[in-house]
Amino acid sequence: MEPVVQFENVRKSFGSFVAVENLNLNIERGKFVTLLGPSGCGKSTTLRMLGGFETPTSGRILLSGRDVTQVPPNRRNVNIVFQDYALFPHMTVAKNIAFGLELKGVDNRQIQKRVSELLELVQLQEFASRLPSELSGGQRQRVALMRALAPDPDVLLLDEPLSALDAKLRQTMQVELKAIQEQTGKTFMFVTHDQEEALTMSDTIVVMNNGRIEQMGDPATLYNRPGSAFVATFLGETNLLRSDVVGAEAGEAAVRWNGVTIKTSAGALSPKPGDAIYVVLRPEAIQCSAHEPSVANRVQGRIRQRVFKGNHTSLKVEIGDGHLLNALVHPSEVEGLSRDDIWVGWPSEATTLIPSRNAAS
Amino acid sequence: MRAVFLDWPGLALKSFYWLFVLYLFLPLSLMVAVSFKDASFISFPLGNLTIDWYAKVIQDKQFLDACLYTIMIAAATTAIATVIGVWIAMLIGSLRGAAQYVAFAVACLPAVVPGMISAISLRIFITTIDLPTGTVAIILGHVVHAVPFVVVMVLTRLRSMPGNLVDAARDLGADSIVTFFRVTLPYLGPAIFGGMIFCLLLSSDDFVRTFFLGGYRPTLPMLIFARVQSGMSPEINVMATLVLVVTAVVGLYAEYLTRRSRIR
Ligand SMILES: Nc1ncnc2c1ncn2[C@@H]1O[C@H](COP(=O)(O)OP(=O)(O)OP(=O)(O)O)[C@@H](O)[C@H]1O
Ligand SMILES: [Mg+2]
Repeated sequence: MEPVVQFENVRKSFGSFVAVENLNLNIERGKFVTLLGPSGCGKSTTLRMLGGFETPTSGRILLSGRDVTQVPPNRRNVNIVFQDYALFPHMTVAKNIAFGLELKGVDNRQIQKRVSELLELVQLQEFASRLPSELSGGQRQRVALMRALAPDPDVLLLDEPLSALDAKLRQTMQVELKAIQEQTGKTFMFVTHDQEEALTMSDTIVVMNNGRIEQMGDPATLYNRPGSAFVATFLGETNLLRSDVVGAEAGEAAVRWNGVTIKTSAGALSPKPGDAIYVVLRPEAIQCSAHEPSVANRVQGRIRQRVFKGNHTSLKVEIGDGHLLNALVHPSEVEGLSRDDIWVGWPSEATTLIPSRNAAS
Repeated sequence: MRAVFLDWPGLALKSFYWLFVLYLFLPLSLMVAVSFKDASFISFPLGNLTIDWYAKVIQDKQFLDACLYTIMIAAATTAIATVIGVWIAMLIGSLRGAAQYVAFAVACLPAVVPGMISAISLRIFITTIDLPTGTVAIILGHVVHAVPFVVVMVLTRLRSMPGNLVDAARDLGADSIVTFFRVTLPYLGPAIFGGMIFCLLLSSDDFVRTFFLGGYRPTLPMLIFARVQSGMSPEINVMATLVLVVTAVVGLYAEYLTRRSRIR
């Protein structure tokens, strides 16, 4: 199937500053796609180019196969949910939602029908005649979403729509947003710098850094098999161990970190002895015990810090001379462990290798 | 525990405030009081009270005509100045950098040029282009004076408008004209309304410009001025009192409306 959105070699610079560099991105219809990256990496710029509010310096943007690079915002079939909602303050909820439909020339009866359907979708029927100022943050959020959905866009663009909400409400809205996306079958292009939000909602995550795509894929792949040190550290917590390859055979590799030999699966890489390499080891893959465990990798250490977090305990374990490993373990696992003499271990499949040239930035 | 010593600075602050209030209201109250006096000269004590003077003023053809004329000019001034003012404010709002400051300064100039100077220059101007003194000339003079006030009020509101309201409208399919009429204009509503009230009050109160640009038909300030020339009488107090009440009511009501819409 033809992708609904295609960025072809899109580049955007403001003066001499390059905000987006050589962006190539295809988005499949009906997917929840998230642009994830640190502040200033060009997420909003990318979204605004698709919305028509910025013109690419070079390259093309196709929407449902049509070149829209030079088409003004009011004549492209995409709608944006703005970060601060941008609801029209002088219009009621129903009027806000109807705005896009009226401009499309939909007849009145159908507008009313569609508006009440949409309000029902987010259970705001009895708020139809309220003004935006008479709504809570979460309700405004829903109205903004429905207003953008009303004209039936090819893609719905959401620029950090949840960032103004408190933590609890944000989680509720994450679930709700995902449910609405699935229910309507719309393509959502979501922007956030919150990795947890991205992992929770997305079908596909596009990790951006410095105006470029760092890696893209489904959440599990990105989390478990990060392609660069940036992705590994940006998505979740991680131990990034700078090591040297000491041996490699048949998809397995042995590396040396801090005097410890680590066995790891090589994945798609074919490391050669002597190469410098990074090992990605997720804290939750590490297990702790008083006695030597029977996993492929095991090493003795000392607990330097122990923080009880309710459903897990976060540990900093010192290995050798001053190198720390972060570990997340079940609280019962570390009960009664002595601080100065424990074993940590992890299976060889739990680690991912990253070539050191992908470690920059 | 509360301080037991006398708070001298605080006391001074309060006393000065009340002195100021007295200074503000005493002359006004005197004027109002005398309008109810049952003698044709202004003196104290007041003696018996009457509303005869009011009855007389209400039936005064000249007075009524002056009122009508004043309102007509004020309405025309307001309509024209509002359109021009909003237009200029939108233009300034869309400019960036130095151009914005220059345009703003130019737009504000008529508010700071002394009324006398502006009136004389306009008088010379209309004579040059062979425009007779009278209604059109007066309106011309009043509009020039009123526009900056509309510009400032509208621009202030425009600057507080979230930029992405316009983006949102564009995004939902509105071209720039539809966006202006359906989103920007309603948002500016309270400021425009405030500006209009200001125009009404400025125009109906104006003396200097009207004096230089007017014809034979007097506006209310000119009528009162002419009457004062021929001797004070409680009738003048009545007219002044009526003007005071009407402008106060209009001003307070406008303030109430803009306040309410600002809360929303
Ligand atoms: N109109 C502009 N003029 C100049 N520079 C701009 C402009 N818009 C964006 N930039 C720059 O481009 C870069 C990318 O901006 P963008 O808004 O896309 O970042 P972002 O990824 O959305 O960040 P955030 O998470 O903070 O919203 C930033 O460094 C920003 O300063
Ligand atoms: Mg942004």
